[in-house]
Amino acid sequence: MNKLLVSPSPHIHADVSTKSLMRDVVIALAPAAIVSIVFYGWHELLVLAVSVLSCLLFEYLITRFMMKKPSTIGDFSAAVTGLLLGLNLPSTIPWWIVVIGALVAIGVAKMSFGGLGQNVFNPALVGRVFLLVSYPSAMTKWVMPQGLFGVDAVSGATPLGAIKEGLLAGQTVPQIMDANGYDYAQMLFANIGGTAGEVSAIALLLGFIYLLVRRVVKPYITLSIWGTVALVSLIFWLASPERFTDPAFNLLTGGMILGSCFMATDYVTSPMSVKGGIIFGIGIGFITLMIRYFGSYPEGMSFAILIMNAVVPLLNMWFHQKKYGRA
Amino acid sequence: MGGVHPDDKKISRNCKLEALPLPPMVYISVSQHIGAPAKPIVAVGDKVKVGQPIAEPGGFVSAYIHSSVSGTVKSIAPGLDMQGNKQTYIGIQVEGDEWEENIDRSDTLVTDIPDDGKAMLEKVRLAGCVGLGGATFPAHVKFSLAPGKKCECLIINGCECEPYLTSDFRTLLEKGEQVVIGAAIEKQILGVDKCVFGIEDNKPEAIAHIAEVIEKLRKLSPKYEGISVMPLMKKYPEGGEKQLIDAVMHRQVKSGGLPIDVGAVVSNVCTALSVYEAVQKNKPVIDNSVTVTGDCLGEDNQHNFVVRVGTPLSFIIDHAGGVPQTASKAIAGGPMMGRPISNLDAPTVKGTGAILFLTREQTARRPQGNCIRCGRCASACPMGLEPFLLYRLGTHDMLDELEKNAVQDCIGCGCCLYSCPANIPLLDVINQAKAAVMGVMKARRAATKAAQTK
Repeated sequence: MNKLLVSPSPHIHADVSTKSLMRDVVIALAPAAIVSIVFYGWHELLVLAVSVLSCLLFEYLITRFMMKKPSTIGDFSAAVTGLLLGLNLPSTIPWWIVVIGALVAIGVAKMSFGGLGQNVFNPALVGRVFLLVSYPSAMTKWVMPQGLFGVDAVSGATPLGAIKEGLLAGQTVPQIMDANGYDYAQMLFANIGGTAGEVSAIALLLGFIYLLVRRVVKPYITLSIWGTVALVSLIFWLASPERFTDPAFNLLTGGMILGSCFMATDYVTSPMSVKGGIIFGIGIGFITLMIRYFGSYPEGMSFAILIMNAVVPLLNMWFHQKKYGRA
Repeated sequence: MGGVHPDDKKISRNCKLEALPLPPMVYISVSQHIGAPAKPIVAVGDKVKVGQPIAEPGGFVSAYIHSSVSGTVKSIAPGLDMQGNKQTYIGIQVEGDEWEENIDRSDTLVTDIPDDGKAMLEKVRLAGCVGLGGATFPAHVKFSLAPGKKCECLIINGCECEPYLTSDFRTLLEKGEQVVIGAAIEKQILGVDKCVFGIEDNKPEAIAHIAEVIEKLRKLSPKYEGISVMPLMKKYPEGGEKQLIDAVMHRQVKSGGLPIDVGAVVSNVCTALSVYEAVQKNKPVIDNSVTVTGDCLGEDNQHNFVVRVGTPLSFIIDHAGGVPQTASKAIAGGPMMGRPISNLDAPTVKGTGAILFLTREQTARRPQGNCIRCGRCASACPMGLEPFLLYRLGTHDMLDELEKNAVQDCIGCGCCLYSCPANIPLLDVINQAKAAVMGVMKARRAATKAAQTK
């Protein structure tokens, strides 16, 4: 007879693993990646491919040769970082800048803290912000979506960039909107200037719904960001529609969807409790709007998430879920 | 709050209760309950009958133990239990099947419930009834309410929320009348007006059947008034005592408290059956139902046996076709909280509810990864604890912090480890930490007591 295993309960395990969760995130990001390739063409494909491959390569090299541990690239988490970083970059960016971004994301933001689960800041966002401050011109050179085989790249500003420039030039918000011909249906389906990940709200939301259905993430952080952005921008907009953009505009532009659905909900860098998560979301929404309305950067999502990432340990210390039979 | 939803795998749900043939020898443990071991009152060479007491309670929290067979006492000696721990066993060689005269062996249903609660409680005590839901706490102690405590609701636990197990389900279906009468007796003993059967909604037949039985019995006597069935959501561990009280009464037992503090007494389906048999049939606890199941066990080898206490597991398993080739783990109980069996020659005890076989693919632990802070363990915890935090504190022996974060409230259900995508041994570490913290708390209580008496 076989020898029997003796080990403590539970004796069965749910059909879930780090790998399956991360794979689900990759699947959820696929529609957005495909749409952005369709709109921005092979340039975008190159950015995404370089980003994912260099993230995988750096994680492999660092685990094998610096940490001298088995490689962890099989868990898909480096692929998620690579995809998110790629979707956060303009399609016109030179490939070698993407490689630098991947090195900062994986090498500095993730592996130097000890790898998956140990990092304080969202690796893809650290990579993006590093590139934003190091290569500002390459990072803000946008082209309008021109299709898979389009040749004539039309350079355009992102909606938030246009608003910021217009306001500085003394125009009012409605004037700028009219001049650029922005409309919300267009923003929802794509075809606005911006990073690949910003172009199609619908594709991103589709992926997010997939994550919700598969119970990979819970919706409260995202909803808390949206609620805060909607409410705070509504107050400002009602007070002065000439000076401040309206809620729908703020919800649809500048990586709001990508950030709130895929970056702020990152397990590692978001709070553990529901209460903490809601406050985390409120913080992100508020800081984003403050940067957009009063800061010198046209868009504030990346900074807002990183700032709130730093608060997470405190939120984890302050907020716990309710225990059974205890006040 | 919390909980997980494993596939319920009730593959033995259609297996009727069947009496297992008598084994050649039984080995009856004197420690089949929580509390002090019982003291043997027979000697080697004595002839015993079925239902004859062979060991008496060794303290207040302890229970009578009866011979489950007729024959000759061959040994009173230490032996190994299912986990390989030493226990004292009374070994009896089976000769025929002669029962004590006062035991009513007929199938006649006795629906008249006596009025005298005290006398019934004494019968329960003499019959060696213990909680058969898992904890095997002596039933008469549970039913003797401390002065000043009042029971507002008796909950009969028919959740059977562990995957695979079906013995409670079969008992509800086939012995529903006896169970309801047993519940009415418990109700009478406790002097409580309300009794609720909590049954998970993956057992609609049982819910319908018990409702029907209650309706039928209510016409016979007012003593059956106030008994009802409450269908509960299928969720593990809905049948945990604290979770069940919350689900039925919307009250939570305070940390360190007892169910009676919120007016609840919880009793398992099989306990109610044994109370019926004790009071109405004079039959002590000499047998219990044991599910033998597992995916690797083949369709025809799934069973719900009624087994005499002390029957060697190997004897039961042989009647279910032997240990399957592909099995790599045998478990006493369900896959979430059952205990691994290291000794298949060990005998059953009153609380043995199931023997489950799992294959290596089903049960092998996967390699441990880094915590990704997904919080699944915390959302799964039915006690609202934060296993990820307790794990970290536990690996650093931070006892004060562990106590502050309520490690002592852990009920060991295993939801955290079950749902961890990184396969971190959360429960293993938490169990050790809990034992350490409980030790500190006990020592502190003793010190306070000593200081007060000075």
